[in-house]
Amino acid sequence: MPITRVCTPRLRLLTSVRYCPISRGRPYHSYEHESDPPPFNATEEAVLAAALRQVPEHGFTDASLSLGAREAGYLDITVNLFPRGSFDLVNYHLVTRRLALKKALDAQAAKDDGGSFKGQGVGTKVKFLTLERLMANRPIIHRWQEALAIMAQPSCISTSIAELARLSDEIWILAGDAGVDSSWYTKRASLSVIYSSTGENLAHCTAPKPEAMLMSGLLELFMTQDQSTDFADTQKFLDRRLEDVRIVGSGISNLKGYLDFTAHSFINVLRSKGVRI
Amino acid sequence: MSVTMLRRRASRPLVQELLAPGISWPQRSCRRASSTADAQPDAAARSPKAPLRREDRDFLDSALRVNQAGELAATLIYKAQTPLLIRAHPHLSSLMRHMYDQEAGHFSTFNALLAKHRVRPSALYPVWQLAATFLGWSTAMMGREAAMACTEAVETEIGEHYNGQVRQLLEMTREMEARGEGVSEEIRHLMDTVRRIRDEELEHLDHAVENDAKKANGHEILTSVIRGGCKTAIWISERV
Repeated sequence: MPITRVCTPRLRLLTSVRYCPISRGRPYHSYEHESDPPPFNATEEAVLAAALRQVPEHGFTDASLSLGAREAGYLDITVNLFPRGSFDLVNYHLVTRRLALKKALDAQAAKDDGGSFKGQGVGTKVKFLTLERLMANRPIIHRWQEALAIMAQPSCISTSIAELARLSDEIWILAGDAGVDSSWYTKRASLSVIYSSTGENLAHCTAPKPEAMLMSGLLELFMTQDQSTDFADTQKFLDRRLEDVRIVGSGISNLKGYLDFTAHSFINVLRSKGVRI
Repeated sequence: MSVTMLRRRASRPLVQELLAPGISWPQRSCRRASSTADAQPDAAARSPKAPLRREDRDFLDSALRVNQAGELAATLIYKAQTPLLIRAHPHLSSLMRHMYDQEAGHFSTFNALLAKHRVRPSALYPVWQLAATFLGWSTAMMGREAAMACTEAVETEIGEHYNGQVRQLLEMTREMEARGEGVSEEIRHLMDTVRRIRDEELEHLDHAVENDAKKANGHEILTSVIRGGCKTAIWISERV
């Protein structure tokens, strides 16, 4: 009798839980209408948050999930809510850390009351947010390679990449970037590439899962190998990559400006000579 | 009797908008303003506002994107036409300046809206830049009448497109009110913006016709080709 009394409300709750896959991109952000319902409902939130606390010890595994369910006061079978198993746990981490960026930015802006941070350019804020997001992996950094491997599984790759795109979109928007021409795409693509940066660091890493490195997060992977205090090497690595992109980006826009100017001058010279074009 | 008169008068703008969105603009602005002022406390009482439905958000998303792409193209068409036209016909200089300035204003309006509402621009942005510049330049090369015929064709298509959007926005707000949700100021503002811009585009159409757009060589073929191109471009940029 006591058992049923304890279990019935929980079980009833479980039947009302609806598993919803990650929504598509979030078009048209409204300021007056209520925003979307949170990505995870109360049950999912409770179980996944508790499971995430188990990750440092048990890794991104089904074991963490069931421990989390138990800790949150649900039956072990609650794990069936998450058909993708450990990937749902990884995804929870990705989504919540992305959504936490706004608070981090607000906190930073509130911290320096002189308003110097608010006045900073978009570039500084992008760097701050990217670093902030990387540092959010800190508590579970020794388990992150498992997560990368899970994300690179064929059934999860598309979701992982979409989440990476949402992350870089979020960072640019929070940084206050208002560009809506073709640079909208290049900015997001280059930040995604930085975040999952390729290049020379591959050589320094001895990762167990090469496909994981290719697909999701070399910068993150770099961080998993980083032995320096306070991830100083990772910070330097990020600085170098952002600087590279800034140089390439300004080079491209200079070249575009130059070509545009030259073409216009050329046409105007021809027109002044009486050529009817 | 006076009550029924009043009621009929009050119900008129909506019906008119749905049947013929193009008719009787001059009175609308003041009527509109008073109706939003009436609706204000009502909407505030119902806040917080219900989240937008998925299909409404998708519609707003693609509507803002296609409008930005369209205004980008319009500014570039005028920009490419202007030097060629005013060299041959200096008296057109002020008209071209006026039309270009209005289009540039529309373009920055939509740029701001895109950035504010986190809408991505069209992925074919550079393609529209090239196509619009080419269209403006080539029609200006064909002469004043052809350039005006291009304006006529483009603005006709754009006017129809904006009318369709106003219609859909009205439909959306009506459904929101039917569900008992408040209509947000941001949607009302968007509707007013689209209406204002549509009126200005149709004014350009009038200017083009006044300047002998119909006398262009092969007017029929030219305008139908350009209108077909516009339709295709709208269809594409609503999607990508």
